[in-house]
Amino acid sequence: MNISAYALGVMHQPREETRSWPVDYTLLGTVVLLLCIGLVMVGSSSVSIAEQQYGSPFFYMWRQAMYIAVGVVAMLVIVRIPLAVWKQAGPFLIILSLLFLMIVFIPGIGRTVNGSTRWLAMGSFSLQPSEFVKLFTLVYLAGYLVRHHVAVQTSTGGFIRPLILMMLLVTLLLLEPDYGAAAVLLATAMGMMWLAGVRIPQFILLIISAASVLALLAYVSPERMERLTSFRDPWAEQFAGGFQLTQALIAFGRGEWFGVGLGGSVQKLFYLPEAHTDFLFAVLAEELGLFGVLVVIGLFTLFVVRSLVIARRAELRERPYAAYLSYGIGLWIGLQVVVNLGVNMGILPTKGLTLPFMSYGGSSLLVMMMAVAILLRVDYETRKDDRVVQKGRRSGA
Amino acid sequence: MSEIVHQPATPFRLGVIVLLVVLACAVLVWRAVDLHVFNKKFLQEQGDARAIRVEKVVAHRGMITDRFGEPLAISTPVDSIWVHPKTFLAETAKHAQLAELLEMKVSDIRRMVQSRHDREFVYLKRRINPTIADQVMAMQIPGINTQREYRRYYPLGEVAAHVVGFTNVDDQGQEGLELAFNEWLRGVPGKQRVIKDRLGHVIKYAELIKSADPGKELQLSIDRRLQYLAYRELKRAVFQHKAKSGSAVILDARTGEVLAMVNQPAYNPNNRQYLHGSRYRNRAVTDTFEPGSAIKPFTIAAALESGRYTPQTAVNTAPGYLKVGSNSIRDIRNYGKIDVAKVIQKSSNVGASKIALSMPGEKLWAIHNKVGFGMTSGSGFPGEVEGVLNHSSQWREIDQATLSYGYGISVTALQLARAYGVIANDGILMPVTFLRRSEMPKGEAVMQKKTARQLIAMLEKVVTEEGTGKRANISGYRVAGKTGTIKKAAAGGYQDDKYLSVFAGLAPAGNPRLVMVVVVNEPRQGDYYGGDVAAPVFRKVIAGALHLLGIPPDETGPHSIHVAAAGARQ
Repeated sequence: MNISAYALGVMHQPREETRSWPVDYTLLGTVVLLLCIGLVMVGSSSVSIAEQQYGSPFFYMWRQAMYIAVGVVAMLVIVRIPLAVWKQAGPFLIILSLLFLMIVFIPGIGRTVNGSTRWLAMGSFSLQPSEFVKLFTLVYLAGYLVRHHVAVQTSTGGFIRPLILMMLLVTLLLLEPDYGAAAVLLATAMGMMWLAGVRIPQFILLIISAASVLALLAYVSPERMERLTSFRDPWAEQFAGGFQLTQALIAFGRGEWFGVGLGGSVQKLFYLPEAHTDFLFAVLAEELGLFGVLVVIGLFTLFVVRSLVIARRAELRERPYAAYLSYGIGLWIGLQVVVNLGVNMGILPTKGLTLPFMSYGGSSLLVMMMAVAILLRVDYETRKDDRVVQKGRRSGA
Repeated sequence: MSEIVHQPATPFRLGVIVLLVVLACAVLVWRAVDLHVFNKKFLQEQGDARAIRVEKVVAHRGMITDRFGEPLAISTPVDSIWVHPKTFLAETAKHAQLAELLEMKVSDIRRMVQSRHDREFVYLKRRINPTIADQVMAMQIPGINTQREYRRYYPLGEVAAHVVGFTNVDDQGQEGLELAFNEWLRGVPGKQRVIKDRLGHVIKYAELIKSADPGKELQLSIDRRLQYLAYRELKRAVFQHKAKSGSAVILDARTGEVLAMVNQPAYNPNNRQYLHGSRYRNRAVTDTFEPGSAIKPFTIAAALESGRYTPQTAVNTAPGYLKVGSNSIRDIRNYGKIDVAKVIQKSSNVGASKIALSMPGEKLWAIHNKVGFGMTSGSGFPGEVEGVLNHSSQWREIDQATLSYGYGISVTALQLARAYGVIANDGILMPVTFLRRSEMPKGEAVMQKKTARQLIAMLEKVVTEEGTGKRANISGYRVAGKTGTIKKAAAGGYQDDKYLSVFAGLAPAGNPRLVMVVVVNEPRQGDYYGGDVAAPVFRKVIAGALHLLGIPPDETGPHSIHVAAAGARQ
């Protein structure tokens, strides 16, 4: 409650800018904390598997630290790029995204892991284009919504056109397949359009059609549907499809209030596959308990609220592009957190999605940090406006 | 252009988004609390069912030592190599190196693991040297692991094999004292709860359910020096005479402890592959034989105790044979009229038979019964047999006569040694034991002290130039003993070409400390007399034993007088 009160207070009282360095410290602090907790948990959860795979227990932790360092450099660059540049680059970035998603399927360049073709091989590293696609799509969509906001709000065509583009992207993502990215991207886009003022009957129609597509899919291929719903009773097939989830749930149960202690997780010892990536949160729940879980949920909530606050402030300053982009980033990261946590806790079907700022993985981390840099840029530009306005007032008085 | 007419999102639309955020947050928190707090019991049970295992805590088996604490059987740690098949097969780079270390073929290893790839646990090789196991583990092959076990090792090998026996792969006694004292020696494994990772490695020892109970140590009465000596000499004799088998037993005359017990053929308990079961038999307690003349002293003992005979009582053995019913009993030659002592010294069957027939059968049976023939020695050795001593009421006249020179009765080497122990120990029968005595047991007086002393004096004469056992003579010591040369019985009667050579004796005669029985079965190299085949074994072993035990010489013969005289002259 205090968070939203604080947020609302900020929204309605343009206060005097006194800080010499115009940065949203709450947002930045939240991200830094999440990165640190994530790094420690990546280290803890990967000790055994790193030892087994590379003979060096902190292999993944050092790599993650390196990715964070790269991310920091990227942030320092991106905060200096004016939003106008992003706005202009939107169409170019969306074409780049489409290309990226198609290159993945070229043999020799694309890399397939666990049946999913999601990666581009780059030496000992691999790049996951779908992570970048998510950000680039938001950059483009924000621009589209600004350029065609009248059409979006009034005509069906203005509403359908971006959806056609979205469908193309989603189809490419589904071909990889990367259901998680597709779902998050689609949901984020719908959230942005909702905030951009799409007419409610049309929006409801969109939801209904999405639901009927899903129903059709279930009808056409029931085994896929079964896999999609198996998360609801993982114990029924705990040694087959439900294995990963049961191991994750056990981790939560073992964690109790304050956890078994950092490094004490049993589940990470080969019971829980992908303990340092998609199921990092389960290891955190086991080692740090409900306390750690609530802290992490709290930090993410704070992050989402702060990004919404930044977006709303920009919106009220009549900076719609900055606002849509910020809304989009907030919704995207929030949705991804919800999906990842939901998967870890067995309330959503198991899909490969990283936990922002925390899971091991260079592409995801880099993109998330770039997104944060954009949010900070939005905040910075808004504050700069405020100062100009205030100066104007002062000189006017 | 359109930016100018831009309108911010309505509070309603933003409110819906905020509501969704709050809702998602609430659902996540609720679910976290649900899992962490309300479902924890179920989830922890599920986790425990996967990760917690009850493991055996190995308990090593008690050591068997000789009477001085020298090890005869030790449990040494060994390691068994096992793998988690899926993990093991995933990484094949080091398999060739591993195969070389384990002295196995790569293809065999692969096939072995492949055929059980759905298991969690497959043995690669059991019971290997821990240093090799350490080398294997140092290779850090994924999925490979060791398990500590114990293997029984017998430092004396075949020398003490028959007495000590051996254990099977599960560390349970199978033969000998390992079997007899299995309950005492056996370690009772403990149980502990451990947490394992999914590859089967123990990551935490959670709780000890029951501590391991190591087996207790067993100290035998065996003296490994005497055991070794007896083994060496018996083996040599059996080899030299191309005999079929042989046994030797040394008892402590005062305590009834078994100081040595050896047999031929023997086996190496450390490597029992390709062995025939008959080699495992401790013939000294499991095989009976007709003792022949070696049993004569007990007929004489009955005679002396009846009061009608003294060592000097004359017995007429002429004409060298004696008709009993349709049978005739023969001596090697006609000794004429000789005294009782001479009957022993010359081993006259006719003399012994006449003495035996002159007494009530009941008396004769009683003395043999009292010194322990026809019953087990009470040593508790597995498979010990009673032998045969029929009661006098079942005897015909010929049976009474043949008993005196050792036919129609069957004994074990241990029984014979025990009976000679009565003579050595002033007529007191001691219980036989394979364990070192901490206190002297109460013996049973079964013969007058005077009788025993008289018998020793007569038996000393056997081990002289004129006696049959002269080759048992040990210079510096007075030795008493009796030979036996037995025609072996087979289906249809006694055989002329199969003999058993026996020597039973004690030393030093002045104050007997050691009793020894030597049996050589079917010598096939010309010699077959007990005095030629068995007596030399006695001499070599007892001579060595007397020195080893530091027993002072007791002979006051011409040699020592000569030394004393020489000393006086100086």
